[in-house]
Amino acid sequence: MRFMAFAFKNLFRRPLRTGLTITGVALAVAVAVSLIGFNIGYRQSIDVSIDKLGFQVMIMAKGCPYEAATMMLKGGTGLVYLPSSTYDKVRSDPDISAITPIFVGVAEKEGSGISDESASSFAIISGIEVESFVSMKPWMTMSQSAGHQGGRWFADEATGEVVLGFEVAEYEQRKVGDSYYMSITPYGQTEPVMSEFKVAGILERTGTQDDGTVFMPIGLARSLFNRPTELTIVGFKLKNFSGFALRQFEQRWAQLPEVQVVGLQQVKTTLVSLVETAQTMIASVAVVAIIVAIIGVINSIMMSVFERTGEIGIMKAIGASKSDIFQIIWLETMAICLGGGIGGILLALSGTSLVEKAIQSLIDFGTRGSMVAITPQVMLVALLGSAVVGCFAGLYPAWRASSMRPVEAIREGE
Amino acid sequence: MSNNTETMVAPIISARGLKKHYQRGIETIKALDGVSLDIRAGEMVSILGPSGSGKTTLINLLSCLDAPDAGELLIAGRSVSGLVEEELVNVRQGVLGFVFQKFHLLPTLTVAENVELPLMFLRRAVDREKTLEILRQVDLENRAGHLPKELSGGQMQRVAIARALITDSKVLIADEPTGNLDKANGEAVFALFRRLVSEKNLAVIVTTHNLALGGLADRIITLEDGLVIDEHLRQ
Ligand SMILES: Nc1ncnc2c1ncn2[C@@H]1O[C@H](COP(=O)(O)OP(=O)(O)OP(=O)(O)O)[C@@H](O)[C@H]1O
Ligand SMILES: [Mg+2]
Repeated sequence: MRFMAFAFKNLFRRPLRTGLTITGVALAVAVAVSLIGFNIGYRQSIDVSIDKLGFQVMIMAKGCPYEAATMMLKGGTGLVYLPSSTYDKVRSDPDISAITPIFVGVAEKEGSGISDESASSFAIISGIEVESFVSMKPWMTMSQSAGHQGGRWFADEATGEVVLGFEVAEYEQRKVGDSYYMSITPYGQTEPVMSEFKVAGILERTGTQDDGTVFMPIGLARSLFNRPTELTIVGFKLKNFSGFALRQFEQRWAQLPEVQVVGLQQVKTTLVSLVETAQTMIASVAVVAIIVAIIGVINSIMMSVFERTGEIGIMKAIGASKSDIFQIIWLETMAICLGGGIGGILLALSGTSLVEKAIQSLIDFGTRGSMVAITPQVMLVALLGSAVVGCFAGLYPAWRASSMRPVEAIREGE
Repeated sequence: MSNNTETMVAPIISARGLKKHYQRGIETIKALDGVSLDIRAGEMVSILGPSGSGKTTLINLLSCLDAPDAGELLIAGRSVSGLVEEELVNVRQGVLGFVFQKFHLLPTLTVAENVELPLMFLRRAVDREKTLEILRQVDLENRAGHLPKELSGGQMQRVAIARALITDSKVLIADEPTGNLDKANGEAVFALFRRLVSEKNLAVIVTTHNLALGGLADRIITLEDGLVIDEHLRQ
């Protein structure tokens, strides 16, 4: 008989005690794993929500209005432009994960026939780089309602195409493929120039000011306004979004004399603080859970080894050396911890998916993603962690019992 | 008395002036207060004495399961005083076999596995034939696959004796082996000891309260208050 076989016989022929010990370890592991998984999942789903905000920070020239309403009121006169050198400077910032340049201009609309008697109304034009812009606002999709089918983005080098915000199209009753007219006054001239564009696509309603915007390639917008290298807004996403990172970023770039840094207000005030408090709370709960789990594992293993002090004494009396005892206890503890670890992970996986389903049936978070992310790394760490903790927990009573004289150990075990 | 020429043979266990004192508060309990004895192959020695006279203490010292406060102990000619734990394991292994009052079989192992357990610690190969042969000597060959809980007390004690025999021990040391057995089973155990002494030339040391059983040994030693007060050969 080898030690391995002996250890397994000890475990399998005491199914109740082995089962209880494994259950103890499994429960501890399950609690820790689900909380850590929840922490990670929560962080991920918050990250997704932050992603959905589009850009988190904007840089624009000092004094430039960035609310659509203000632009309308001022008739575009308040717009101030940044030189492209500013863009080149900020794009090298190490903390940003995405950047997109935007050229905003205001065009006149005349004789649309639907608007009131006033000769001119305005259209806000955003010149954009399609790929970087859309990657920041991934929810912007082409509307598929009647007359809107077949919409698409324009190519960056296209010269005669625009994409309309939902409300623009609705107001002017445009369909995909229709013509769209705007008068633009190029910089340095006084007379507006009327241009005709083809509607390449119409966006789904977003509920933001993008609904009232006409999008065109940034190069086209720049040349129509005769400002070939300038831009209005630079939108950013930060790599590790937090209130702290945001403030740091703001401070860094507010030093440039020509720019103002605008963090999205609602992001700053609500989400950031919300995320941060929730994170700390969950993290501290997870720490407590891990401590409880460690104590749980230690307790289960220690009790099961202490209980066998007498048996260890007998094994010593019939010829077992200290290292023999250690090997046996180590093997048994390993088996219990791995069993408990695997059981705990399975328990956490099934338990959290049940709880999640229950919660989601009660409250609609509007999120598709899972709130609990039990990643392979978490499982591996839980498994190794319980094995390491278990071995330390098992070795102490084993050491104690094997250090006793056999007679003492036998007497204590009686 | 088995054989007078055996007194010429070197003893397997030789003890001189063994002392073991326990401190209980300010009182010193002299559990053993200078005991000397020799045990040779082929003889059965019983140790008698009232409760608390030091029988278990003496047995534990002779087994190297406990260390004396004073005195000299030679096992197979080798002095064990000052040896550390791991060295004591080596001295015991293959020489001394133990039988306890409460049997102390491992509950998770079958009869055969319990008997073979010491071989695992000695890193010796298991030979099931030999196991069965030894079980036959204790009349349990048909119980090899049973768990201890399925046996009677007398059967469990015979398994424990088989376990002590598997390593070809030279000496069997048994503390109150019949303490938990009824009269018939107790007598069977002593009869088995006698047979092992004569057939295998073993030495057996056994303690007991039972004067009749003790009287079956070749030599009867009586302890009182940690001292040998009487030693005589079987009449
Ligand atoms: N670990 C110990 N600590 C303190 N005193 C002890 C210890 N072990 C034994 N003694 C004392 O030593 C004396 C001898 O005890 P021992 O167990 O050797 O007696 P015994 O002859 O085996 O008795 P019994 O027939 O009841 O088994 C007793 O007075 C006992 O109380
Ligand atoms: Mg006793």
